[in-house]
Amino acid sequence: MGKSFRNSKFFGFMILAVMVLFFYAVFKFLSPSNFGSPANLFSYFQSSIIYSVGGCGLYFIVVMGLFDFAVGANIVLSSIVGVILSEKFGYAGFIVGCLGCGTLIGIIIGMLYNRLNVPSMIVTVGIMLILESVAVFAAGGVKQTLAPELRFFSGAPGNIILAFLAFALMWFILNYTRIGTYCNAIGSNEFTAKNMGIDVKKYKLIGFALLHFFVGIMAILTVSYGTTMTALTGMSTMSRNFQPLMGTFFGVAFRKYGNPISAIVIGEFIIAIIFNGFVALGAPTTIQNVVTGAALLAIVTLTARGGRGSVIK
Amino acid sequence: MSVLLKAEHIDKRFGITHAVNDVSIDVSAGEIRALIGENGSGKSTFCQMLCGIYTIGGGTFTLDGQVVNVKNQVEANKLGVSIIVQEMGTLSGLTVAENIFLGHEEPFMSHGIKNTRAMIREGQKLLDAYGFNSIRAGAMIDSYNFEDRKLVEIVKATYMKPKILIVDETTTALSQNGRLELYKIMDSVKADGRSVIFISHDLNEILTHCDTISILRDGEYIDTVKASEIDEDGLKRLMVGREIGSAYYRTDYGKAISPEVVLSVKNVTVPGQIENISFDLHRGEILGFGGLSECGMHEVGKAVFGASLDRSGTVTLSDGTAINDIPSAVKHSIAYASKDRDNESIILNESIRNNIVLPSLDDLAESHLLKAGKLNHFAQEYAEKMQTKMQGIHQLVSDLSGGNKQKVVLARWLGKGSDILVLDSPTRGIDVKVKQAIYALMQELTAQGKSIIMISEEIPELLGMSDRILIMKDGKINGEFMRSESLSEEDLIAKMV
Repeated sequence: MGKSFRNSKFFGFMILAVMVLFFYAVFKFLSPSNFGSPANLFSYFQSSIIYSVGGCGLYFIVVMGLFDFAVGANIVLSSIVGVILSEKFGYAGFIVGCLGCGTLIGIIIGMLYNRLNVPSMIVTVGIMLILESVAVFAAGGVKQTLAPELRFFSGAPGNIILAFLAFALMWFILNYTRIGTYCNAIGSNEFTAKNMGIDVKKYKLIGFALLHFFVGIMAILTVSYGTTMTALTGMSTMSRNFQPLMGTFFGVAFRKYGNPISAIVIGEFIIAIIFNGFVALGAPTTIQNVVTGAALLAIVTLTARGGRGSVIK
Repeated sequence: MSVLLKAEHIDKRFGITHAVNDVSIDVSAGEIRALIGENGSGKSTFCQMLCGIYTIGGGTFTLDGQVVNVKNQVEANKLGVSIIVQEMGTLSGLTVAENIFLGHEEPFMSHGIKNTRAMIREGQKLLDAYGFNSIRAGAMIDSYNFEDRKLVEIVKATYMKPKILIVDETTTALSQNGRLELYKIMDSVKADGRSVIFISHDLNEILTHCDTISILRDGEYIDTVKASEIDEDGLKRLMVGREIGSAYYRTDYGKAISPEVVLSVKNVTVPGQIENISFDLHRGEILGFGGLSECGMHEVGKAVFGASLDRSGTVTLSDGTAINDIPSAVKHSIAYASKDRDNESIILNESIRNNIVLPSLDDLAESHLLKAGKLNHFAQEYAEKMQTKMQGIHQLVSDLSGGNKQKVVLARWLGKGSDILVLDSPTRGIDVKVKQAIYALMQELTAQGKSIIMISEEIPELLGMSDRILIMKDGKINGEFMRSESLSEEDLIAKMV
């Protein structure tokens, strides 16, 4: 195989397709009756695209070498704000509430990160704790339920349309604006990027704002899918960070093939297949964390592992 | 010729270091001006102020009648100043076209939307025009090797037709073909009535390709001379401030090599790098390894030091001890100085002291405890022995010039008392004064019975310093030469190509 083929988009796509087929075949073989019917696959896909949207948002900051622990907390808060506003303003309130709250939190995180000059991980852990408490106040300690007449995004085609609009937006930003180029440049070498006249602080702020705009979309899909949202404290939103992040890892690992978005979407679908495959095998619910952790390690090892002798930190 | 660039009283301090001290230089239009000096003489700092990498400490740059005081390279580009740097200047994760136009996307933007296809088309047009057709503008830059990426950087720095092009020690990163391309571009800049500032330690290259030469020493301006009116010795004298004469290389010939073998390499293969390499290293010998840059000679150094992956074959000491990994190499008195000094030999963000004591901590510990005073004394002793130019042993290595970094590397192994030294490109990017000091040290060490494997891309260095030379080609040893006055560069080249 030629070097150019091995670097092509097609080759990257082929690897992902082989992974999908492999995991599908394994679980179909082990559990032929409970796993993998067309209806099941469609269901896995619908749940995976919710995380894919978050994965797309996270890509903007992960590629710059930053991290965000407040994603889960913002999903909860934005969902609650959206549901509360939907009670007065219908769909407009729901959508604007989720997107507006999400984006505003992103801007605040970006500004704090730039202003405090401390690692993004520390800033976002602090913000996560604050957001969890704000969400409890906003919800008034009550489970927030989305009205039945506002559940267009709870299933197909609404959820798919919205998710694909988000993917299209990400594709547009990466390929047709400066933002994608500059985020990659900052991640590659921040000092050189500065010397190229790139306003690094501005683009980090934009990165956080974009991430949380996508988190706002994820909040719409999440609360529509589950129909309710409960505010919890004690870092319980932390677990919501990792599933979208796994898609981002796929995106970062496959960006060398030129299209991280398909890698994020297919990567999340692979994780959904693995998770549902174990469920079909009758593994207990708690297996989710084991599977999530194992899948994360396996994926990163297979796709993003450094060459032999390379320095890994 | 009219003056294109006027630098007046340029000054820069880093803490107590006076890096550039009141330097005034005029560069004429249509001129290739070399800027030379020892490591740490201030030439790179001078240029980096001109192109916005450093802020100007004092004085004024005037380019074509306009004062230049820029904050970054893009602003410098807009005023007509471009630079090609020594190390990697392209950014991973971007396409070739995005790298070429980074910071200059405006022609491809319309209402905030980037015309990616037009950018790639324009990038490819430029690459084709430069003759770099094999590089694809739409491909990720990561899919190209160091040299191709350097060629992309050359396009990036020159496509806007800068009034002043700065070439900062770039040629060491390029093969002969790449160098020829760069020289052609420099000539075309000159022919257009624009100017080049060329920084290099290769005096022969400077005399061949430059019109005039400005010399800096310890941050101060010394003189400007015409290339046609001076020779290498004259330049060395101006750079160093004293005569660098015949003692530059060894002058002894006919010295018998000791029959005692201290290290034996048998049938060593590293897949894709070297194949079936066998040789013996003798006590007190300088064994030179030469060849074209991709011939595998650099891997030989790593293989001897136990740093190669998937190595087969054996590396054994005279007592039969096998060297298969780095810890056993260090334990058995083998030292290694990599060609990639900044990434593989020194810890940039650590102090000179910590770099020097690193492999000797076990020896310096008392009951497993380290005493700061003892470490300081040890580091001070060997840093001074190597005449390292420093503010103190607690200074960060990242603040040092290339030559002084190399002195720290050598001080480390000197302190460790290593008996076998593997020195890969020991004088790469190093000025003549430090070169002379390193050559003198090598002779001193071999006189003490220590043995050296010297891997070098510089043929005069191989001829001047080695007792025996092994020439490599395509991963194999292709020729062996004993030290001799009659041995010529042509003899070695004939075995390299």
